[in-house]
Amino acid sequence: MTATTGADASAQASAEQVRAQVAAWLAENWQPGGGGPRWRERLVDSGWAAPTWPVEWFGRGLHRDLRRVVAEEFTRVGAKPAALDVTQLFANTILAHGTDEQKKSFVRPLALGEHQGCLLYSEPGAGSDLAALQTRADRDGDTWVVNGQKVWTSGAREATHGFLVARTDWDVPKHRGLTFFWLPLDQPGVDIRPIHQVTGGSEFNEVFLTDAVVADSHRLGAVDDGWRVLQTALGFERLIMGAAAGGSSRQRRRADGGETTLADRQSPWTRQIGGADYVELAKKVGKADDPVTRQEIARLYTLEKVNAWNSLRARADAGRGAASPLASIGKLAMSRIVHTGVSVTTNLLGAASVLDGDTDPVAAEVNRSSFAAFVTSIGGGTDQIQRNIIGERVLGLPREPEVDKFVPFREVRKAQATRRFS
Amino acid sequence: MSAPKMLTSGQYLGSTGRLEAAVGTFEFTDDHEALRSTVRAFVEETFSEAQVRRLMAAPSALERPVWERMARELGLQGLVVPEEYGGAGAGPVELAIVLEEFGRRLVPVPLLSTALATVALAGGDPAVTAGRLEAVAEGRVVATVALAEDDGGWDAAGVHCAAVGGDRDGDGWRLTGTKSFVPDGLDADLLVVAARTDAGVGLFAVDSAADGLSRSALEVFDLTRRLARVRLDGVAATPLAAPADEAAFDRFLDAARIAVAAEQAGGADFALAMAVGYAKERVQFGRAIGSFQAIKHLCADAFVDVESARSAAYYGAWALAQDSPEVATVAPLAKAFCSEAFFATAQTNMQVHGGISFTYEHPAHLYYRRARSGAQLWGSPRTHRDLLATRIGL
Repeated sequence: MTATTGADASAQASAEQVRAQVAAWLAENWQPGGGGPRWRERLVDSGWAAPTWPVEWFGRGLHRDLRRVVAEEFTRVGAKPAALDVTQLFANTILAHGTDEQKKSFVRPLALGEHQGCLLYSEPGAGSDLAALQTRADRDGDTWVVNGQKVWTSGAREATHGFLVARTDWDVPKHRGLTFFWLPLDQPGVDIRPIHQVTGGSEFNEVFLTDAVVADSHRLGAVDDGWRVLQTALGFERLIMGAAAGGSSRQRRRADGGETTLADRQSPWTRQIGGADYVELAKKVGKADDPVTRQEIARLYTLEKVNAWNSLRARADAGRGAASPLASIGKLAMSRIVHTGVSVTTNLLGAASVLDGDTDPVAAEVNRSSFAAFVTSIGGGTDQIQRNIIGERVLGLPREPEVDKFVPFREVRKAQATRRFS
Repeated sequence: MSAPKMLTSGQYLGSTGRLEAAVGTFEFTDDHEALRSTVRAFVEETFSEAQVRRLMAAPSALERPVWERMARELGLQGLVVPEEYGGAGAGPVELAIVLEEFGRRLVPVPLLSTALATVALAGGDPAVTAGRLEAVAEGRVVATVALAEDDGGWDAAGVHCAAVGGDRDGDGWRLTGTKSFVPDGLDADLLVVAARTDAGVGLFAVDSAADGLSRSALEVFDLTRRLARVRLDGVAATPLAAPADEAAFDRFLDAARIAVAAEQAGGADFALAMAVGYAKERVQFGRAIGSFQAIKHLCADAFVDVESARSAAYYGAWALAQDSPEVATVAPLAKAFCSEAFFATAQTNMQVHGGISFTYEHPAHLYYRRARSGAQLWGSPRTHRDLLATRIGL
């Protein structure tokens, strides 16, 4: 391990102070079994819900290395550490880019859970190429009028507000004409419709914005500087993903009520058909001695294991404060695992895999999983985009030339909004 | 070069820690990183591509002065030799690091062979192995393992070489049979030979100069790893443990699988670096070919393979260091996975390089040769996946 430096020593000293402070506060405020009356408010106002936030904004101003100390003390008494400075991507982004007035108005309701956010980023015509979005915001005095359509918004029906990226200048290249807003959803111009997914579920929504109104006081960052704010927000989203990848399944649930994390999306599949169940299924259908089946199951087992070990290494890197290139491969690896897993189970079921519903619940589950696998290989960035990211950011390969990079967005060839039949 | 501080087992390997405690963090210590950078510097200085090619063309890839320097200055042959026999007393994790570094540059000296023999010896009866381990650690002896025979089976079932005539004290044993695919078999002074007794398969120490032993070089595809065929006709041999312990033989095989996997991970890592480096500098259609997604995605997939291979090898080494029951599944898994990851990466490397990789002067084919042959040596990916299937309950 590294030798102890002066900085380490001072962090060590304050770690003990912080531990004592947390313990003292908990001793006074925590009642086993529920925390007592107005627990959430007292927690938020104490600053221990978000230890690294500034003292004036519901935090304690601590270094991020001390988060663990705070969490340990909470866990020790049986209280759940809120860790809003990790999980509250909306408040994190507002604290990074908002005015003092915005911090004052927006952060506390989010911290208390009175306000819930969702992410109004993707559009029918802007998926992998998010900067090509066409939802427009036109200024009208102190307000902006928003028109367009957002899609793949999870949590929209439970949310009170959304992080909205909209185009405010059409005469500059695509990245430079976007503005970021905190849009109230409870208004006539916002129409939220659940998407009927191929899995049968409806976790995602489309959000139609028709002359929706957002006050200029709800704008985060400068006009036309929304891309930069978005990068910050995406960074906080990755922070949550990173924490989820490193935590237990119970800790994976996102506190902001927004999109489920990658880990969440994968867990249903892993639970239902993961691990040793392949072995049991192979025995049940009499294929345990079939050489091809044995190869397929061993190969799948291998993919699952190496991915888990990659995550352990990524976690070790993160623990040392190092950016880990391994963090970028988990999604691609998981995509291969889920699609391979479905292939293996489909081969085991054989003809039965054409059945569905109550006729054959096992087949039905495999069928559902076969679609759910695309959540991993398409959602949150397709496998192909992920390969670009690995190639460019990890391996340092040059970017593909972009034909629209220096062209005013008005003149750029755009995707047509894809109409679904419904 | 000054001798690096060699590390004792106590410094890294807590024998009491539970596996989760060790692998849960999956961290290399600063001592591990120091070992890696020392070995990398030595390999780069001593085994440049030009040197490797010179050794490829030489009658033997073994040059005793270099071998002795490896032992004296770096302590590499004695890495996993217990301290009481003159070694560093390090464990599988340190061995994996060293083999990974040697694998990166296709170093043709018999370090892997000697290391595998050392692992076998270290698991044997000290009365038999102590002197031999000392000789290995001092760099006086090159050792190897002779496991497979002409039919290319690498487990106990593939061992037909007969061990007869000995007693339970280990005296009077004679081996008769043929061993093949013996790595560095022509250079080795000491062979650890798998042979069949009435009590099952066991490992025997055989002096290469012993009466009745004859050996010949095999003509091989991998130009940086020499193989030999060894005939034994009533050759005097000493069992590493008596009576033959087939469970110990299986444990040795698992350790060998993980060691080989680490070497393969190193080769894969370097092949990827070659591919990426070329993709950045080679220009066609007015731009670096690495900017084309067709090339970029090949490299990205290889990156996933390479890092996953390293994870498998490292985890295997950690599991071995902790003597975990997981070794039984990780070992065949790691050998199968690292074999295929290395081969796929070596293929990608040739494909990314295009025409130049088809020339003998370019090193891409050397990695392809090592990867393709290494996948079959010590057991194929298919064989190991089938073993894994058995061990996970199929």
